[in-house]
Amino acid sequence: MSPRTIAAIATPPGKGGVGIVRLSGPLSRDIALALSGRRHLAPRYCHFVTFRDRHSQPLDRGLVIYFPGPHSFTGEDMAELHGHGGPAVLAGLLAAAREAGAEDANPGEFTERAFLHDRLDLSQAEAVASLIEADHDSAARAALRSLDGEMGRLVNELDEALTELRVFVEGALDFPDEDVDLLGEGQILERIDDLLGRLDRLRERAAGGVRLGRGYRVVLTGRPNAGKSSLLNALAGREAAIVTERGGTTRDVLRESVAIAGTPVELTDTAGLCEAEDRIEQEGVRRARETFYSADLVVFLVDAAVGWNEEDFAQWQRLPVDRRHWLWSKVDQAPKGVDGGGVSTVREGGLEPLTELLRTRLLDAEPQDALGARERHLEVLERARGHLETGRQAFAGYGSGDLVAQDLRWAQEALGEITGRLHSDDLLGRVFATFCIGK
Amino acid sequence: MGQAYAVLVVGGGHAGVEAATAAARMGARTLLVTHNLDTIGQMSCNPAVGGLGKSQLAREVDALDGVMARAADRAAIQVRVLNRRKGPAVRATRAQTDRLEYRRAVQEAVLAQPGLEYLQSSVQRLWIEGDRVRGVVLPGEVALEARTVVLTTGTFLAGRVHRGSDREDAGRAGEAPSQGLAEWLRAQGFHVERLKTGTPPRLDGRSIDWQRLDPQPGEEPLPRLSAEPPERRLPQVPCYLTTTTPEAHQAVRSALDESPIFSGAIESAGPRYCPSIEDKVVRFPDREGHTVFLEPEGLHTPEVYPNGISTSLPGSAQEGLVRAIPGLEAARVTRYGYAIEYDFLDPRQLQPSLALRELDGLFLAGQINGTTGYEEAAAQGVLAGINAARRDQGAEPWWPSREEAYMGVLVDDLVTRGVDEPYRMLTSRAEHRLHLREDNAESRLAPVGRELGVVGDTRWQRFEAAQAELDQLLGILEGQWLDPQQVGADRAEAVIGGPLSKPSRLADLLRRPEVGLDQIARLSSIWELEGFSAEIRERAEIEVKYAGYIQRDRTEHQRLEAELDRPLPKDLEYRAIRGLSNEVVQRLEAARPGTLAQASRIQGVTPAALSLLRVHAKRRVG
Repeated sequence: MSPRTIAAIATPPGKGGVGIVRLSGPLSRDIALALSGRRHLAPRYCHFVTFRDRHSQPLDRGLVIYFPGPHSFTGEDMAELHGHGGPAVLAGLLAAAREAGAEDANPGEFTERAFLHDRLDLSQAEAVASLIEADHDSAARAALRSLDGEMGRLVNELDEALTELRVFVEGALDFPDEDVDLLGEGQILERIDDLLGRLDRLRERAAGGVRLGRGYRVVLTGRPNAGKSSLLNALAGREAAIVTERGGTTRDVLRESVAIAGTPVELTDTAGLCEAEDRIEQEGVRRARETFYSADLVVFLVDAAVGWNEEDFAQWQRLPVDRRHWLWSKVDQAPKGVDGGGVSTVREGGLEPLTELLRTRLLDAEPQDALGARERHLEVLERARGHLETGRQAFAGYGSGDLVAQDLRWAQEALGEITGRLHSDDLLGRVFATFCIGK
Repeated sequence: MGQAYAVLVVGGGHAGVEAATAAARMGARTLLVTHNLDTIGQMSCNPAVGGLGKSQLAREVDALDGVMARAADRAAIQVRVLNRRKGPAVRATRAQTDRLEYRRAVQEAVLAQPGLEYLQSSVQRLWIEGDRVRGVVLPGEVALEARTVVLTTGTFLAGRVHRGSDREDAGRAGEAPSQGLAEWLRAQGFHVERLKTGTPPRLDGRSIDWQRLDPQPGEEPLPRLSAEPPERRLPQVPCYLTTTTPEAHQAVRSALDESPIFSGAIESAGPRYCPSIEDKVVRFPDREGHTVFLEPEGLHTPEVYPNGISTSLPGSAQEGLVRAIPGLEAARVTRYGYAIEYDFLDPRQLQPSLALRELDGLFLAGQINGTTGYEEAAAQGVLAGINAARRDQGAEPWWPSREEAYMGVLVDDLVTRGVDEPYRMLTSRAEHRLHLREDNAESRLAPVGRELGVVGDTRWQRFEAAQAELDQLLGILEGQWLDPQQVGADRAEAVIGGPLSKPSRLADLLRRPEVGLDQIARLSSIWELEGFSAEIRERAEIEVKYAGYIQRDRTEHQRLEAELDRPLPKDLEYRAIRGLSNEVVQRLEAARPGTLAQASRIQGVTPAALSLLRVHAKRRVG
């Protein structure tokens, strides 16, 4: 079995000019190809590409470099994806790499791999070993901190509830002559359902936390030339989208990350949703539609100089009802002023209405009990949920304890990836403490 | 004394017998030395073989052509299959046996084994030269030369029996302990610890009021432990159930100050899954009664083993306890219960082959390694016997992985985690439980056993025939298709409780929870299916239904273990690794794990610790 392919953001957090996502392991090349859309990558050569996720959504433009092993930093096949910085963009690249088969790297794992593959000499190795130790130290402290909080408490509670259930199930299996037969009494489905319910609530709150951490996805849309790209550029403070006076210039979905009230927000500027005729633009429209479904908020811009027209209404109708919101754009060009909120890229403070909208619709709407969680935690909770689900089905179908017991074991092993426990602490000890067992 | 033996086994219990016969089957010239030839194969605790985890071990021993399962089948007088409805992976056969008949069956197997000699004697010490074993020394400084030695001394190593405040040095009630060897081992600097276990009083069945008790009959047709059908079977008798009462608990409580466990006379740990009645009464004061299983000791003795009231209280208190139990009001005690403390060697000094790391040629098996139970002992015996013979042949040691056998779980747990109470096998210890089943024990181990040379011709031919039959049936199930039109919706509904929406392989239909092989046969009209024996049909059904789950299990494990498949140097200096806690360092030093995977199973080892180990292991190697 080949080793995992690991991925991590290699540049320090914050909004830098350039950010790098680094990959190491057997899938590095495949992942780099998938994300860059290229068919071939020359070793150690910079290719300028558009990075896209698996739905072909553009994420960013930048450089991709492929370093075949063993002549790479880690000694394995590696790849670097250089993007335009910004936590949201880099997180997007990392997520896309994950979707393509990479797993999050542990602290110090790149160096560790380099070391294990003889890419460092002995003196370097000594230094690196202490570095990794220190890394683990701080990672352990960080993990402890994050588990100190509400998230840690809830995961541990869930783990405890799961242990309790396993104590009953394993007790019933290993000591059939004792009166601990929970399996026969049919409470087991109820208890799994209860666990599933708790897991779902936990997951929801954790997802809220992850959104707060990674930022929000906001889509700017509207008729062609409604001023979306100008707005995006004004917010980002640089020319990201190509803006011309003629409508329909923005064919790709472009993204930019900005900070609003200290929270990263990823703005996406879409092609206008008109009934496009030329094929390139049709493609852009299709992508824009897809974008709406992954967004946290869709902002529909209406040109204040023109006012609402039939096309505007038609497009507005097509937006997801639960997350759409409209704003006037170019209010400075409105013939006789406007009612309601509007933005201007020209006037001083003209962007305020948009930032205010994002604040009220996103930040203030976030559940107050969001948990300090990471994407990795969500993935683990999802996996634990899957095991509980299959266990439930197996028990409902076959009624046999051995299958459900195995799924409960896996669910607990999964939670262990958050709690940091490699094996459930002496489950048998709990069985003996709970039941008077033995002849 | 003539030519050196290839393998010399000390001890004639369940471990010793399997070790000696396995080594002899492999062609090694073997000698079994025991203090009393007549007690070879003695069941010193309750007269039963099997149960959860244990029946799987017994079947694995059987798959390697061992003695235990066949002897148990021959001596069985009440057999049940536990957990029949809880799934095949936790199904376990348990045979109540006639103690005398069992011993006789074991002794016959020993006598019949070509290449195996035996000698009645105690053993004073081992004969060591440098760092390897040369043989053993008997009383009177008589040396016996052997190239390998397997020690299976059971509870005899410095055994001490407790009953009330009485104590006596003994290996079993009424039998002398092995004192010299114990002292010698300690003096050699081996890490020796003590454990305790206990037995209940035995009762005279003629004084029990059977009419008032619930019988617990065995199953018909009679299940068996061995894959090989026995020539004849004994008449079956039921066990009986009764329960302790508040009065019985009172009798226990009022004598607690005389209990060696509570007075502090016994400090060593006893098994938590087999607590004494004193423990039960103290730890679960709210319970009004605990079940007592009255198990017949045999067909030709009135003695009864009351399973569930193991005790080391003084004799008078034992009588008070017994007589407060319904049905036992007039019961006479024939032998009093007792607790026994004995020496064991910390099994973390062993390699998975059961050879001591520090002393070439010496193997340990059974209770000396901190385990309890006949089946656990037998499993280690076979493994030690095989490896002693292989050591003599100059071959690499062999042991099964945790994924292949309960035997693998057993040795891995022993050598990496050690024991802090007598170790008993349980199915929850096996992470590959879905695969490690009774029904496939022979398929799992017989082929490798044949390769090792421990499985004889008769056994192998019978196995091959059964396996061929199973493969043929599986071939039909995987190869034959059923078409919805050919079947008809009504018939499908009637026979398998649901429609057949598309052409399906028989195996796919069989994977549906409610569908069994009988229904498949009826629905498909493939009458060939009826021609297979019930046993083969059941095995095929389990194989097919569980295949997907086992595959998923494997994938999941591989995901976790892929990166742990890396050797650790034998002399890694754990103390020098910054970031490991003292506790973890101590555990690692005691167990000296051979691989990262083994290290990962040691208590307290975290993912971060594993990563440190990985780096340091590499640094050591350079």
